[in-house]
Amino acid sequence: MALRTRGSKIFMTAVYMLTMCRAVPINDLLNRASQSSDKMYSLSTGLTQDLATHISPMSWPTMDRPALCHTSVLPTPNDKEQTLQVSESALMSLARSLLQAWAEPLGILSKNANTLPHPAKDSISSKIQVLQEHSKNLGDGLDILSGRMGPEAQVVSILPYHGGTILGHDRNSKLQKFNFLLSCFRRDSHKIDSFLKVLRCRAAKMQPELCY
Amino acid sequence: MKKAEGVIILWSLLLFTPHAKGTSYSLPGKPTLTNCRSPEKETFTCWWEPGSDGGLPTTYRLFYRKENSDTVHECPDYRTGGKNSCFFNKNDTSIWVNYNITVVATNARGRTFSDPVDIDVVYIVKPNPPEKVTVNTTWDKSLPYLRVSWEPPHKADTRSGWITLIYELRIKMEGDDEWEEHPAGQQRVFNIYSLRSGGTYLVQVRCRPDHGFWSEWSDSACIEVPDYFHQEKSMWILILIFSVFILIILIWVIHMNSHTLKRFILPPVPGPKIKGFDKQLLKNGKSRDVFSSLVGSDFPPTTTNYEDLLVEYLEVYVPEEQELMPEESKVPHKSSYQSETSTSDCDSGRGSCDSHTLLVDKSEEDKTMGQQSTQQGGQTERDLKRPEESSEEKYLTYSHQLDQPDSPDCLFPPGPLSSHFSPPGHKPVLGSNYQEFSFGNTQPHALHHQTGTHQYLQDYSDINNANKEAPAGFRLASVRSTEYVEVQRVKNDNMVLLHPVSSDPEQGGPERRHTEDYSKVKGVNNDNGLLLLQRKGSDKEMDICSYEDQQMSEPVDSGYTASIAAALQKTPAYVHPATQILDERAAGGYVDTSIFPLPTY
Repeated sequence: MALRTRGSKIFMTAVYMLTMCRAVPINDLLNRASQSSDKMYSLSTGLTQDLATHISPMSWPTMDRPALCHTSVLPTPNDKEQTLQVSESALMSLARSLLQAWAEPLGILSKNANTLPHPAKDSISSKIQVLQEHSKNLGDGLDILSGRMGPEAQVVSILPYHGGTILGHDRNSKLQKFNFLLSCFRRDSHKIDSFLKVLRCRAAKMQPELCY
Repeated sequence: MKKAEGVIILWSLLLFTPHAKGTSYSLPGKPTLTNCRSPEKETFTCWWEPGSDGGLPTTYRLFYRKENSDTVHECPDYRTGGKNSCFFNKNDTSIWVNYNITVVATNARGRTFSDPVDIDVVYIVKPNPPEKVTVNTTWDKSLPYLRVSWEPPHKADTRSGWITLIYELRIKMEGDDEWEEHPAGQQRVFNIYSLRSGGTYLVQVRCRPDHGFWSEWSDSACIEVPDYFHQEKSMWILILIFSVFILIILIWVIHMNSHTLKRFILPPVPGPKIKGFDKQLLKNGKSRDVFSSLVGSDFPPTTTNYEDLLVEYLEVYVPEEQELMPEESKVPHKSSYQSETSTSDCDSGRGSCDSHTLLVDKSEEDKTMGQQSTQQGGQTERDLKRPEESSEEKYLTYSHQLDQPDSPDCLFPPGPLSSHFSPPGHKPVLGSNYQEFSFGNTQPHALHHQTGTHQYLQDYSDINNANKEAPAGFRLASVRSTEYVEVQRVKNDNMVLLHPVSSDPEQGGPERRHTEDYSKVKGVNNDNGLLLLQRKGSDKEMDICSYEDQQMSEPVDSGYTASIAAALQKTPAYVHPATQILDERAAGGYVDTSIFPLPTY
């Protein structure tokens, strides 16, 4: 793990140096970032599906009121028009903020995965770890990207997580909380992916074949 | 909870009511939402399946509630999506927001609610199929290929990157059942190669968003591939025919020369060719027979052969002076012997052992004597019944080994050459013609003569004259008649001078032919001395050259004659003292040379 983070850091530093020295085109960077976010979303989708496989939807603990994700406080566009109206820097800031907000909850999920009352908890646990790594790499990449964009891109909103370190005390609450958190993460990763792909197309004026 | 209670109450009422009234009206059946789809991530449509209507006209209404809001909204558009559908337009569609949708069926009896469904628009995207699929035939170096192009569905906003589409196409020939699918990524153009000449193809394209569902297949685009000729194929066909042709020729050539090739590659292994060797016997496994056949015929060499060889070898050699020079190099008495050498004897042959032949001086002597001696020598030699190998060996080896003082000469088997022999220190016998034999260690020479005389000693009767015709190698002429050689004197140093004694009674010295002059061979002593007995008596049986060794020296003086059948050579021969030994077993005065222990050479 440490090696991978260090490796990713070195990689990012190298990319940063390269960008400084050789000015890697931003659309290339965005392309890579969007591919990374695409992968992250796929991972999260897989996780939610794994969680739902062995548990019948009928026995799913119902929630009286849908709870709010801790990232819902961040104002994000809700449809296409709104999204297209947002500036690139703002979009980048939003993406980075969302990503940053999930660092802690992913850690909590990872810790609680082993004790999850679920038959596929081992695979879930490993997948969560992979997800964590991926999220970290993407975050580093976005940090570099934001350096090439406007000042607004540097702004990262802090979205604290107040859910506590322990998911719950009983089986139902544990599963419920786990499922809820994962669904929130899935959505947010989709948001990030969408924003980055919009940014990619906006920057690909030189490559019309990508977004035409 | 309230809803459930309400439903239960309604049901109970409805159940009772028909019984009361007798009509079968009921609540509408429970509708179910089948699916909701969004084609472009901007609008979406939901469809439901109605339940039974309960015999009464039933209306269906869709209600939805957005996430984080308690406001219940009703479906804005029931028509656009078709029957039992609800279409949400852009204004009503929010993404990244959960919708809680419920369908309610209402009739006169009551309402029935469907199960609520939670959806998020971004997860239900299924685009429309690609549009404007076109296929064209393009030529690339006289080879045609298809170029398929299409457009994204018009509603999908790929330009802004709001939606990212991935395409896939499939192709098949008209009439086929199986489609051939090709993923195309995000591109809008695709090339298809390796077409069948003159075939008709159908092409279809479909797409999906990066995180969504596949669209339906587009309408088929039909195209007919024109006829073309594949030049490369024809070239390969030509090459194949040519190579086959060459191969046939090669095979034919090899077949014609199969034999020479076979011999070249696998040369015949020479088999063993042993005279008298029967392969069949060997195969049968009877080695005894195999080898016995060999033995029977030629191997080991029989006596006759051996004797023949010996005969060949023991050639009476009448050498010239200079010829004998190298041979007599080791002879100390060379000079003396040389003087006695006679001129070449025509009759005597030159043997391989000629250098070692008994150097008998017969120059002045009549040649017949020499001949006779040689003959006798040859005969006696032939009569040698001792182990052929050893004698022959010794004989032969002597012929090549001049310097073996200790070993008796080949010429001289242990038996003394004649009665004229004397062990070392024997008194010399005087005589005009004498054969000087030198015994002993100096130069055992004259094997020739030694053997000859030795044999002569033993048995005259056995002598046949076959050796007269002996080959040139050994011309120890067989003695037709017994010839005697008289020891004239015996020198001190083991030299015996012999002189031939004529067989004619009137010749020579009949006075010498006293019976007492002849000694019977008594035996052979240990150190190669011929033991002779003094005999008084039969003079006819003077075949025997009796000999007496030094120990019994008196009779020596009486002049023993030893029938020396040795090849009389002009040159003196050296006689090894060992040859004087006579075996005790000598019977009748005859010395059986075969029993003489052969000296080793």
